Amino acid sequence: MMEFVLFLGLCFILGGLAVASNPSPYYGVVGLVVAAVAGCGWLVSLGVSFVSLVLVMVYLGGMLVVFVYSVSLAAEPYPEAWGDWGVVGYAFGMGLVVVVGLVVSGVSGLSVDVGTVNSGGLLSVRTDFSGVAMLYSEGVGLLLIGGWGLLLTLFVVLELVRGLSRGAIRAV
Amino acid sequence: MTYLHLCFYSAFTLSCLGLAFHRTHLISALLCLESMMLSMYVALAMWPIHMQAPSATLLPIIMLTFSACEAGTGLALLVASTRTHGSDLLHNFNLLRC
Repeated sequence: MMEFVLFLGLCFILGGLAVASNPSPYYGVVGLVVAAVAGCGWLVSLGVSFVSLVLVMVYLGGMLVVFVYSVSLAAEPYPEAWGDWGVVGYAFGMGLVVVVGLVVSGVSGLSVDVGTVNSGGLLSVRTDFSGVAMLYSEGVGLLLIGGWGLLLTLFVVLELVRGLSRGAIRAV
Repeated sequence: MTYLHLCFYSAFTLSCLGLAFHRTHLISALLCLESMMLSMYVALAMWPIHMQAPSATLLPIIMLTFSACEAGTGLALLVASTRTHGSDLLHNFNLLRC
């Protein structure tokens, strides 16, 4: 059962390959969802379940949902599919670049490190909870900067999409 | 290099390649950016596990915050350019072409 994390790592790479060689944004989003789910399982296998939950809720349940309905802007009636030869060529070429990079850099063997934190979650003090809880005690400056950045992003987005006669991007 | 380091490193590299070679749609490039952010999140989350340093667990959370900001801004650019050009096809963005 300790080898499940290796399979999840492989799924993560395949999801990244699917996003990079996507025939159409619809299939790219599927690859991103697969990679995000594999990443969550990977982090849970390593013991940090809080960080994995944050990834699921904020990234998969927040940002990817927004991406999915923004992909509807890119709707085309006849999207390419995975079986088209151009897409297979792109996927193969990108995989080949990674393999050639590994060979050239001289990665001879891969070691597998084992171990989880907190004895599998049975201790009363959990590493990831106590680490993120420092956001409210010693890291309060980061909390305020993050909150300020998010508020600023809201106004940036509102300004970008205002359009009409005073928008930020116009054709001419 | 450990196997798990290789996993997120190659996922990051593949997403970089996908961003460099984005072909038809602008949103494909934005999806590759999101995939890069995902691999960086997993990489930053693995660091406190290996170093047994709980305070470094803060880093992936903060990175996710600013990644959300960047994704929102990217999608706003997508919407603005779709309103102007009618679609997000990259060969329509020819204002700066000489």
